[in-house]
Amino acid sequence: MEFSNSCSSFSSSSVDSTKPSPSESSVNLSLSLTFPSTSPQREARQDWPPIKSRLRDTLKGRRGDDTSLFVKVYMEGVPIGRKLDLCAFSGYESLLENLYHMFDTLIICGKRDRKHHVLTYEDKDGDWMMVGDIPWDMFLETVRRLKITRPERY
Amino acid sequence: MNYFPEEVIEHVFNFIASHRDRNSISLVCKSWHKIERFCRKKVFIGNCYAINPERLIRRFPCLKSLTLKGKPHFADFNLVPYEWGGFVHPWIEALSSSHVGLEELRLKRMVVTDESLDLLSRSFPNFKSLVLVSCEGFTTDGLASIASNCRHLRELDLQENEIDDHRGQWLNCFPDSCTTLTSLNFACLKGETNVAALERLVARSPNLKTLKLNRAVPLDALARLMSCAPQLVDLGVGSYENEPDPESFRKLMAAIQKCSSLRSLSGFLEAAPLCLPAFYPVCQNLISLNLSYAAEIRGNHLIKLIQLCKRLQRLWILDSIGDKGLVVVAATCKELQELRVFPSDLHGEEDNNNAAVTEVGLVAISAGCPKLHSILYFCKQMTNAALITVAKNCPNFIRFRLCILEPHKPDHITSQSLDEGFGAIVQACKGLRRLSVSGLLNDQVFLYIGMYAEELEMLSIAFAGETDKGMLYVLNGCKKLRKLEIRDSPFGNAALLADVHKYETMRSLWMSSCEVTLGGCKRLAQNSPRLNVEIINESESNRMERNEEDERDKVDKLYLYRTVVGTRKDAPPYVRIL
Repeated sequence: MEFSNSCSSFSSSSVDSTKPSPSESSVNLSLSLTFPSTSPQREARQDWPPIKSRLRDTLKGRRGDDTSLFVKVYMEGVPIGRKLDLCAFSGYESLLENLYHMFDTLIICGKRDRKHHVLTYEDKDGDWMMVGDIPWDMFLETVRRLKITRPERY
Repeated sequence: MNYFPEEVIEHVFNFIASHRDRNSISLVCKSWHKIERFCRKKVFIGNCYAINPERLIRRFPCLKSLTLKGKPHFADFNLVPYEWGGFVHPWIEALSSSHVGLEELRLKRMVVTDESLDLLSRSFPNFKSLVLVSCEGFTTDGLASIASNCRHLRELDLQENEIDDHRGQWLNCFPDSCTTLTSLNFACLKGETNVAALERLVARSPNLKTLKLNRAVPLDALARLMSCAPQLVDLGVGSYENEPDPESFRKLMAAIQKCSSLRSLSGFLEAAPLCLPAFYPVCQNLISLNLSYAAEIRGNHLIKLIQLCKRLQRLWILDSIGDKGLVVVAATCKELQELRVFPSDLHGEEDNNNAAVTEVGLVAISAGCPKLHSILYFCKQMTNAALITVAKNCPNFIRFRLCILEPHKPDHITSQSLDEGFGAIVQACKGLRRLSVSGLLNDQVFLYIGMYAEELEMLSIAFAGETDKGMLYVLNGCKKLRKLEIRDSPFGNAALLADVHKYETMRSLWMSSCEVTLGGCKRLAQNSPRLNVEIINESESNRMERNEEDERDKVDKLYLYRTVVGTRKDAPPYVRIL
């Protein structure tokens, strides 16, 4: 998965996070980001689809439907972190879009790049991994927190 | 006429178990009718209002096992109001005051009270088996009566009932002398379970083959239970939200490995996926796997488990397994006979629903599993081409139930209706006994059903059809039709009234949110003394306007059934029996 392809490249001139000036960025990111969980949900019918009450109750009580998965997100070099509900996103792309708005900087995942901030995560085992290698579903099960690493400069 | 003495004929009859065959035997001649009724041990009553207990007992005084069904099938989907009927108490009262030596009672969709259970437990000294499916109205106090008083109880099987859990000590009520249990299923109980009492009970039940636990039984208790019941054949696991610590996991694995007789696995309510690997050692022996409540387990974990189940004959699963998962099932489970895929997302259009299943999964299964004969498949979309392929691959379907989640949805590639697809199914599957149709459908599909579905006994229709002709094709064509249930379809009086005698050859007809009117139902009732025609109108305005009723008013819900005992007396006010 090459998520970095969807972001344009631009030069970052300082160590800390920079705002890309709108004229430099050619990425067309919609500012009205919609989270799936905030779209109005249809009133669930009690008689369709035709499943028994016990299954209906089980599905209503699912973690996935109504609850959330809040993880801490740190930008390297910035002591105060943010919190993000990963269940609000449908996949890596929407996560990155949201992080762009949250941190005002382009973030990539999937490969290390000396110029851009790279998204990493801490998994269940305590290891720090590159975001983007595993399917989104699996990622949600194993992610504990996120860290945005600074671009390396040499 | 009889070449043999009665005892010999009776002996021969005792080899005939199927109630349909028994019914046929009893129609041969008066002598056989008489012999048969005195040696009939098991009676099946598909509609508790078709007959009454007094007549049952008069005809079959030597009855040992009774099966009763109450509410119509659509009651499972909240279409039948709570107090519609189906009360078992009069039956138990009548049986209790007669000399029937009842040993087994199986009830489906009936209202059962603690009082009924208590009377049952005290009236039949040889009572052995109680099976309650989709029943309601009782509490764990009723279970305590059964446990305390039924000295020879072998089977207590509670499937999907609404039971008020008083968190009492019903498990403690089994006396120490009770060692005869072969089957215990309390998976549907919602409250706390006295685990210590359960462990003692299991430990003193060497013949226990079926054990299905509720969500309150934790992992370490499961390990202990399995250790003292390695003879288990059918296990229903409870709820394991947290990942097990290594020691508990090790103990569980050790216990499971000893259960070499285990053939059927179910439960996994709210289970953490990491519990599944403990069961890998028994997978190769499993013939039945029900993961339809395991809503927390994602597709990839399910797939890993199923890949080990090469002997599986029955699989119930959620659509979170995805088409990809079904391809794995098709490649692995060559003995598969029955598959049910349930929806895991009730809100419909979730963008990220990559995991739901489509026609791709269905086609894969049909191609890979030659023994498949029963399917229930909830899916997002379907095509005629896929159904035609499925029909070619699997001409042996006995039950084919397809539910496309969005009503009226057409073939998603051609945008046409799915009449041709379902037509192919009924034409190829000559032994089809049960069919549920969905998606965009015109009258044509019903023409096909009437023409080809010669063995069809039960048909479920939702959001389908164009005109009355559709329903007429079915009523005229399907000679063996017993149950017809229709909802949200444009069938009206013309179809309803065309052949009133047809309904006496069937068990029942249900029509809700269709075009039939009060006038039509009244005309139907007038001409049919042997049918009960029930109108269920729950809305307040309908009740208030009773005095100025308009025959042209559409009826919310119509339920009619044949009966030999006339109008029932226990209907609530909003049920009108014409």
